[in-house]
Amino acid sequence: MSKKSDSEAMYDLTDVLDFEALSAVRPGSSILVSGPAMTGKDELAMEILADGSDNGEGAIVVTTGEHAEDVITDYRDRVPGLDESLLGVVDCRGESGRDSEYTPAGSFVYHLSSPGEITGMGIGITKCMENLANNGADSGRFALDSLSTILTYTDKKTVFKLCHILSSRFDTAGYLGVLTIDSAAHDEQTLQVIKQAFDGMIEIRENDGTREARVLGLAGKPTDWQEF
Amino acid sequence: MTGSERPVVLIVEDEPDVAETYKLWLTDEYDVRMAEDGDEGLAQLDERVDVVLLDRMMPGLSGDEVLERIRERGLDCRVAMVTAVEPDFDILEMGFDAYLCKPVRSEQLHDTVSNLLERSTYDDLLQEYYALVEKRATLEATKSSAELTDNEEYHRLQDRVEELGDDLSETLGGIEDDEDFIATLRGLGDVEEE
Repeated sequence: MSKKSDSEAMYDLTDVLDFEALSAVRPGSSILVSGPAMTGKDELAMEILADGSDNGEGAIVVTTGEHAEDVITDYRDRVPGLDESLLGVVDCRGESGRDSEYTPAGSFVYHLSSPGEITGMGIGITKCMENLANNGADSGRFALDSLSTILTYTDKKTVFKLCHILSSRFDTAGYLGVLTIDSAAHDEQTLQVIKQAFDGMIEIRENDGTREARVLGLAGKPTDWQEF
Repeated sequence: MTGSERPVVLIVEDEPDVAETYKLWLTDEYDVRMAEDGDEGLAQLDERVDVVLLDRMMPGLSGDEVLERIRERGLDCRVAMVTAVEPDFDILEMGFDAYLCKPVRSEQLHDTVSNLLERSTYDDLLQEYYALVEKRATLEATKSSAELTDNEEYHRLQDRVEELGDDLSETLGGIEDDEDFIATLRGLGDVEEE
């Protein structure tokens, strides 16, 4: 959907997942990470973010299931020497209403009381982007884990539109978006509809205890399944 | 907005001179309704109204209270707050779609109203886009790829989805602006908290 120039630096994700199709992902792309539960979707999404943070890029995490402090602690372990002012978290599991805070190490955290608060999520994401920009990161990587939780609060129409609007916003802002969905929790038609809001998809499965992935839609034909 | 009818703008403003000035500026392009206070504004409000220009400080119901009632009624009009002072609060958090500081200039007023109408256009396009994507997914799920190749309806859908996708990326500059982003998400409607 983008008309961005080619001169912008591409995102190279091959350190995380070694596919040629992931060697030059255009800034502004949104990728759906789809697979059954317990196959490492969220792990993969966080690794894609951490890979950017290793290079000093900004990172925004929207979490529907974990508390912000746990996300930050986990992220610190992934990125040695993390500049925490370049991390923003939108925590949809807040105990109270909407509010925001800075952690002592400088991460910006926005709290929502429910993953069904779509507008609040947008405000949180906007504020995270503003904070990253103030700290020198005009763009970066974004992860949302998971769309499946949001689907339990609302319907596939709303989630499709949400994904489309996020994709458009990341496109104009030059962000890379990575959003996860539990493929076993929804019917085929729901998945089919939601993936239309994305530029591409990383599909994950487990085969005899081995995790495999393939890439669809980002460059040419779907890739073959490959162990990771 | 339906058919060739002109968009409707409702001005809720207790100062008659100010209200008349806005009307004068807008009347060439829009159907303008006027209300002198919040209660009258709510009475004038119906499905036809696209944009409300709402004065914040009025006798009787305040602009904030009127906004709350508008949202309660589930009308999908866009509301711009008109205020005498630069707001020291986050208008996005409050649920307004835009704000204008007095004194409002003609160009500003036009820009704001047309931006708010463009957001409504975006919502409509996105709704239509979703409906087609869903229809296409249903066809894909129920027919073989050979059947799809011969299916004219499917090909028409493909073309239309692509067209609409292009229209969407051209509307609101592809959502370049934070306020457009939040307002577009607000259009999806939040799930009521328990």
